[in-house]
Amino acid sequence: MSATDGEEAGGASGTSGSAESENAMFECNICLDTARDAVVSMCGHLFCWPCLHTWLETRPNRKTCPVCKAGISKEQVVPIYGRGSTDKKDPREKEMPPRPQGQRSEPEQQGAFPGFGFGDGGFHMSFGIGAFPFGIFASSFNFNNGRPGPPQPGSANHAEEQVLSKVFLFIAAIFMVWLLLA
Amino acid sequence: MANIAEARIRREFKEVVKSEEVAKCHIKVELVNDNYTELRGEIIGPPDTAYDGGKFILEIKIPDTYPFNPPKVKFATKIWHPNISSVTGAICLDILKDQWAAAMTLRTVLLSLQALLATAEPNDPQDAVVAKQYKENQAIFLQTARHWTNVYAGGPHREQVLEQKVEQVKNMGFEEHRARVALSSANWDPERATESLLNS
Repeated sequence: MSATDGEEAGGASGTSGSAESENAMFECNICLDTARDAVVSMCGHLFCWPCLHTWLETRPNRKTCPVCKAGISKEQVVPIYGRGSTDKKDPREKEMPPRPQGQRSEPEQQGAFPGFGFGDGGFHMSFGIGAFPFGIFASSFNFNNGRPGPPQPGSANHAEEQVLSKVFLFIAAIFMVWLLLA
Repeated sequence: MANIAEARIRREFKEVVKSEEVAKCHIKVELVNDNYTELRGEIIGPPDTAYDGGKFILEIKIPDTYPFNPPKVKFATKIWHPNISSVTGAICLDILKDQWAAAMTLRTVLLSLQALLATAEPNDPQDAVVAKQYKENQAIFLQTARHWTNVYAGGPHREQVLEQKVEQVKNMGFEEHRARVALSSANWDPERATESLLNS
C-alpha cells in the first residue's frame, strides 16, 4: 500500500478537505473510487471485487497484484464486510461470480489438556525392539500428537492395517521361538 | 466498460494536476478531446542527461479497456533514444506492454518515461540504429541526442559542429530532417550520409 498511499495522500492533501483524504484510504486501487464489494489481497491491497475480477480475467496466465505484482488468485482474497455496507446492485456485477466467502476458523482452545487417556480409539499397538517398560511408555504417550488416527473400520486402510499387524505378530512369534531355541 | 475508463481518467487527471511533479513543471497532461480518450502529455528531459531541458510531447490514447490494458503512448516530439523510434516515436517500455498493472496511472507512466530518458535499455531496443550507436560510440550518441533535443524539443545545449554538418548536407539539396537522420545514422560522417541519402 505504501506507494499508492503516498500518492493518494499527496494528491488529496492539496485543495480538498479531510473527508476526501480519509476516504482515499479505502479507494479501490483499480477504479480509484471508494471500493465496493471490497476485497483485500494477501499482500494487503484493496480492490472492488468486480475490478479485481476483471483484472484477473484480462491476464489469465499472469495473475499478479496490480499494485505490487505479488502473485494473487481469486481464492486468496479476503472480503471486507463493513458495518454500513448496503446491498446496492451494481451493473458491473452482472455475470460476475460472487465474491469469495470469508474463512471462518474455529477459535483456539486454551487451558484444557485434550484427550489424555486410553479413550477415543487413539491407542494402537506398535511393534519395536526396545527395553520393555520404555516401549510401553513410548506407545502410551503418543496420543493426539498430530499423527493421523487409526482408519475407520471397514475402510481399505483398516483392512490393510489388520493384515500388517498380523504379519508383525507372526514375525514377533518367530523371533521369540528363535530366542528360546538359541 | 468505457465508463470505467472515463471515470478513472477523470480522477487521474485531478491527481496529475495536483501532484508535486506538475508543480515543479516536470510533467503535464492536457485533454485533446472531451471524452477523455485522447490526451497530450509533456515531460521535461531529466537533468544531467542528453535530454536535459527538452520539452517532449507525448500522444496518449486511452483504450476502452483502460485501466485493465495500458494506454497507448508515443512520442510526438522527435527524439534520439535507443528505446524510442526516431521515425515513428513508438516506445519500447515493458510497463506499456506486458508489465502493465491496473494500479498504474498517467502520472506513473509519465514518470516512468522520464526515467527511461535517464536510463536507456540498449539491449531491448526499439531503434536498432540508435541502440548500436549507443553501445559502440557513446560520445557520438550523447552529442546526437543533445542535438536532437536542442532542435526538436527546445533544449538549451547547442551542438554547433553537428549543426554545420546538417547545414552542409542540406545545401546539397536535401530536406533538413532527412539530412539530420542520415548524418545521425552515419555517426556524422558526411560522405556516408550523402551516400545513404542518394541511395534511398
